Amino acid sequence: MPTYLLRRLGQSVLTVFLTLTAVFLLVRLAPGDPAAAYAAPTASAEELVRIRGQFGLDRPLLVQYGIYLRDLVSGDLGTSYSFHSPAFDVVMDRLPYTITLAVSAIAVTVLVAVPLGVWMARRADTRRELGANILTITGQSMPDFWTGVMLLTGFAVVIPVLPASGFTSWGGLVLPTITVAILQFALVSRLVRREMTTALAAPYTTVARSRGVAERALVWRYALGNSAVPLVTAVGTRFAALLNGVVVVEVVFAWPGVGSLVVRALETRDYPLIQATVLITASLAILVQLLVDLLYPLLDPRVRLGKAA
Amino acid sequence: MTSDAALDPYTPGISRRGLLRWGALGGGSLALGGPLAACAGPTGLPGPGTLTLGLTRSLVSLDNKLNQFDAAVTVQRAVRQALTTLGPGLKPRLVLADRFEMTEPTAWTVRLRKGVRYADGSPVTVEDVDTALRMYGKVNGSFLLGLFPELPEVEKTADARTFRLRTERPVPILDRLMANIHITPADANKPEELQSGLGSGPYRVARANSGAGEYTLARNPRYWGPKPPLETVRVRYVPEESSRVVALRSGELDVVDTLSPDAAEQLTGLPGVSLERGDGVRVCQLFYNFRKPKNHPLSDPRVRQALAYAIDGEALLRDVLADSASPLRGVVPTNLDGAVETGSFTHDPARARALLRRHGADNLRLTFMWESGEFAGDASVMEAVADMLGDVGVRVTLKQFQPGGDILKWRQGRGGDWDVIGNGFPSPTGLALTCLQGMYAGTAEKERTREAFMGYVFPKIADGIEEASVEVDDAERQRKLAAVQKAIWDTWPALWGFVPKTLLARRGRVRDVGLLPTNSYDLTAVHLEG
Repeated sequence: MPTYLLRRLGQSVLTVFLTLTAVFLLVRLAPGDPAAAYAAPTASAEELVRIRGQFGLDRPLLVQYGIYLRDLVSGDLGTSYSFHSPAFDVVMDRLPYTITLAVSAIAVTVLVAVPLGVWMARRADTRRELGANILTITGQSMPDFWTGVMLLTGFAVVIPVLPASGFTSWGGLVLPTITVAILQFALVSRLVRREMTTALAAPYTTVARSRGVAERALVWRYALGNSAVPLVTAVGTRFAALLNGVVVVEVVFAWPGVGSLVVRALETRDYPLIQATVLITASLAILVQLLVDLLYPLLDPRVRLGKAA
Repeated sequence: MTSDAALDPYTPGISRRGLLRWGALGGGSLALGGPLAACAGPTGLPGPGTLTLGLTRSLVSLDNKLNQFDAAVTVQRAVRQALTTLGPGLKPRLVLADRFEMTEPTAWTVRLRKGVRYADGSPVTVEDVDTALRMYGKVNGSFLLGLFPELPEVEKTADARTFRLRTERPVPILDRLMANIHITPADANKPEELQSGLGSGPYRVARANSGAGEYTLARNPRYWGPKPPLETVRVRYVPEESSRVVALRSGELDVVDTLSPDAAEQLTGLPGVSLERGDGVRVCQLFYNFRKPKNHPLSDPRVRQALAYAIDGEALLRDVLADSASPLRGVVPTNLDGAVETGSFTHDPARARALLRRHGADNLRLTFMWESGEFAGDASVMEAVADMLGDVGVRVTLKQFQPGGDILKWRQGRGGDWDVIGNGFPSPTGLALTCLQGMYAGTAEKERTREAFMGYVFPKIADGIEEASVEVDDAERQRKLAAVQKAIWDTWPALWGFVPKTLLARRGRVRDVGLLPTNSYDLTAVHLEG
């Protein structure tokens, strides 16, 4: 187990390192000049040269990369060109908002989609199941921009019960959470439905039922317990994706998360900010995946981490 | 004593699975607990004395050395002040100074107002002004710095409050230019955009999250001037226009600025919402590329004029821009001080076709480029113009750049060839002169480093602007400026142009906004009703 953990941590570090290297190179290969984006439109060529020097962009790419890695090791993620502040601080200003939204959206998804999936499995191939399926798929098919604006118009203007934007009260979390969660309902509920249908038809369920195990325990402990591994994998993956920000939802609800931050950083060619955002969100996403992996033996005793099947 | 459990060989100790369970729980808590504990809680609902502004762009700092867009100025000036400001009619008004007058052609005598102090009670000093000028001068890439022909030096006098601003050559517009230099305590000023620090304005920063673009300003209890009517001003960054409109309608935001024509249409006539509009100080033009070879048709002003006849400006303003802009009747917005009407764009496609044929340019193929968001409805305007030119036999290729791309390189003629650029140019000084200097004062020397605006180099015009810029006699300067503007118009620098109106929406309870043509307003004048 410790060996497995160490190996996974090593893999995670390598993944983050490769991601950072790719981002470092790609942003510099993309068209655009951070100095031009930073300076006034009337900036002279001389001024642009000075700004490039100020940002260290006048040095060879390999030297820039070396400096970046050296600073990274000492915990310096650089200074954002557009915010004129340490890039790490700028990301950390926004990250709590992203985590808040991701946690609440995943919580709502699990609370709604898991019971819904179970309900659909127990009513597999009925008209009611078909109706639920249509509803969730409709939710998934609606563009999040449209869903967000409709919810805003409905609950902030027509029936003004919730805030329209930002995080001025806890009510401000409701609409963005629902908008994000609606997109996840179909995926999670259909996955639960599929796993539960298989589990409920499995021989061990028949045996348990014949031994008089209550239907409630049969469904929620036996069948759902056995469906937990794919469910946790799917939820963990969605959660990790949400940590990278939900740009459209953030824009619609003026939610100050990292998704809209990285878009702005890309527009202004703010290399340190792009790199810092990627580093922090990628690390978090990888950490979540690692935790999901560590949960497997708890959910299924047959799983032995680090050993081939 | 030994417990029974310890003797029982079947009582599990710390099992591998148990260890794993607790390890995973601990790891999970560590991973998520920390960030969740740091999760931003709600910032709280605004009180009745709170004005909430929704900005289109993120206000990353309350310093204006680099971050200077219209609405930002409104907020920045509530915290940090300058010696002067631009008031109604774009006339300079004294703020931290109670005297600011030209006493020699190359010197202005300034006296700091008695009792002006920062939010911590410390006085505003001449040293602070001197340091501020030096710090602004050291910032790379500043738009403000480009407005100053030269930065003045501070000369102290025997009186602690009085000093002279000395320049090498006359700068007769220094009182307006100094409205952009915000004064900060000398020891806290740096040659960069300040993230914190004190100001002498009516408000102080109570809470700031520059990463999220959110600020809360509270009334400065030590403000040297009259007590401002608002208790608190909240500044929020709401990038999406439809969200700003919804937030205004729901009463969550009190003021939203820089509205597009579409948003204005949605808000018109809504109960509890009022619109304020006025002529702006930004000129938007479809500017020709003046780096064309001499034998290129666009190098001939008659061809440039002929092409202008193809454009139906009225239709563009009415149908595409939904009356959110005024026609351009000069080479800079005519509401600027010193600007004159020099002519207007006339729509006459038959004449355009005939003139193009006469000048051997009846089969032109042109490339238009612009950056997204350069002006409201940019893509629609460009498409409509291309269509109008198509009607006179000119084929147009449109090239749109995303923000942050290489457009500067193209503007400077380093990216490749093009013919017309959609471009906006502001005049935060309220003066025609600074606009003319920025756009039309190109010289051969400047062009060597590609600093001439779109390659526009006309030595006589550059000389005329230079002469006007050092003319200390007001009437004579206006006369010189008028003459040079007429000369510029005759070169047909633009295919078409317009002046976007400033457009702001506010809740009914917000009074006395007093929107200026610079698209900013004085927060100390604003008050809330009810």
